[in-house]
Amino acid sequence: MSYIKFENIIKTFGKNEVLKNINLEIEKGQLVTLLGPSGCGKSTLLRCLSGLESVTSGHIYLDGKDVTDVNPKDRDIGMVFQQYSLFPNMTVEQNVAFGLKLKRMPKEQILTKVGEMLEIVGMSDKRDCYPSQLSGGQQQRAALARAIVMEPKVLLLDEPLSAIDALLRHSLQVEIKRIQKELGITAIFVTHDQDEAMVMSDMIHLMYQGKIEQSASPADLYTKPASKFAASFIGHYNVLSSEQFLELTGEEIPCENIAVRPELIRLTDKKTDDPDCYHMQGTVAVSLPHGNFIRYGILCGGIQIDVDILFTDISPIPTGSCLHLSIKKEECVLL
Amino acid sequence: MQKKNIWNTAVIVLIMLYLLVPLIVSVIYSLFEKWTDVLPEHFSLGSYMSIFADPAFRSSIVRTIVMCIIPIIITTIIVLLALFVTTAFFPRLEKYVQIICMIPYTIQGVILSVSILQRYVGSKSFLSNRLVMLTGAYCIIILPYIFQGIRNGMRAVNMSMLLEAAEMLGASKLYAFFRVVVPNIISAVVVSSLLAVGIIFGDYVLVRNLAGTSFQNMQIYLYQTMKSDSVKASAVFVVIMLVTCIIAGVVLTLQNRGKKPDKS
Repeated sequence: MSYIKFENIIKTFGKNEVLKNINLEIEKGQLVTLLGPSGCGKSTLLRCLSGLESVTSGHIYLDGKDVTDVNPKDRDIGMVFQQYSLFPNMTVEQNVAFGLKLKRMPKEQILTKVGEMLEIVGMSDKRDCYPSQLSGGQQQRAALARAIVMEPKVLLLDEPLSAIDALLRHSLQVEIKRIQKELGITAIFVTHDQDEAMVMSDMIHLMYQGKIEQSASPADLYTKPASKFAASFIGHYNVLSSEQFLELTGEEIPCENIAVRPELIRLTDKKTDDPDCYHMQGTVAVSLPHGNFIRYGILCGGIQIDVDILFTDISPIPTGSCLHLSIKKEECVLL
Repeated sequence: MQKKNIWNTAVIVLIMLYLLVPLIVSVIYSLFEKWTDVLPEHFSLGSYMSIFADPAFRSSIVRTIVMCIIPIIITTIIVLLALFVTTAFFPRLEKYVQIICMIPYTIQGVILSVSILQRYVGSKSFLSNRLVMLTGAYCIIILPYIFQGIRNGMRAVNMSMLLEAAEMLGASKLYAFFRVVVPNIISAVVVSSLLAVGIIFGDYVLVRNLAGTSFQNMQIYLYQTMKSDSVKASAVFVVIMLVTCIIAGVVLTLQNRGKKPDKS
């Protein structure tokens, strides 16, 4: 039986239905990501699990118990918010000890647990600092320690890294994952950043317009998107309708759409005769350096196809160049 | 750049002069017994000694301070509880609470005092007591200032997020409010309370109409002294000013003692 279960969850704000009959199961010990664009309902779903938001209909089960109507403070769930949310009038140590004091734990035990937790998140030397004396990353570590020290059944992370600069974000992603594995906590991470979801998750639930669009492992979601939205949101796929594809390649496909990842398209000066590939022709309209690769926008019969080429010493292809595009048939995703 | 600095300094000096000249002149005036056309003669602390020797003046200071503190405490507690309930349970009601709290801005002291007198003077309840009426009237006139100050403070600390964070750690909403939110808005409470002190210290109409001249607070004492001796009245004014400054100083010192250092 799954550890967390959302059953037919519907949530409306006035006339706006934000969650549309969500059914979702999460296993114990996993780090699961709710991924999706802004406004897709991922944070609302998380808040429904925490109890900070009530559901309009449906049931939420945690560790076999129906917690739908249980008060947030009694659900045994820890949460890390986007804006740190440390209590400004308390030191790091007092913040981390806050929940333990409410549990009426003996003072010595609180001190030991807080010390251990600050050690785990690497904040032992900042225990007497106030939040205003800490950087964003340090504040988020303290907030993480404050949530984990309670030994919650589930740890919820609501876009905890979105207010942190890129370099620090990458190191915190790795750190959160390490701590989660080390302590064996079940965690649900909310983000709109697909790279972050790929790095951190055991399982990704892609959400779109209040529904679960696809649930899969990061690798499966990347290589086997199940819908047009999943393909365009996750891998920056080029998605072509069957009519567009027929116009460009002269070949028919047995589905509505075909999706191709930009890094799987090969560019050549001359047309190749490989029968295992689809072929098309186009002109380089734009080239955008992305660090380790360059993304070329190639106009093929009025449709722009994005092609990613590793950034090597070879000089970039000038705009206006006429090129041939070949795509292996087996690497295309039919939708 | 240097020209801009000169202008800045000039503006500050002008404002300081505008604010300080009347105070300095009052202090000087209260320290001399005789005045020729322009210059004073006979430096003396006699005015101060005589007013402090007067038991009526000493008790007027105590009355003013007590009549100042009680309404501020009552209003602050009411506003804190009202804002807690609206933020935590009925966020949509906040705008109505705000409208209600802003109404006293538009009520003049005379109208307020006459209305209160008409309503409660014949009543047999404790509300007919003149001092209770005065306390209630002060609660009403300081309500907008206290409300606005505390509400701004709550917005600055993102109260709803702090409440949610505390709730997720096992705290009840009320506990979270008094343990987490209130300590973080002490500055706002202090600033709005000091504003209220200023308003109550400056009141004459309400105390005159509701409590009458037999309830001598500092304003009534000042008014009565002005009729007989202008130098003594200046001394009373200087003492009122000093008492206000001492209250502000004590409150701000207490507040700064608990202040956290910022990130360096």
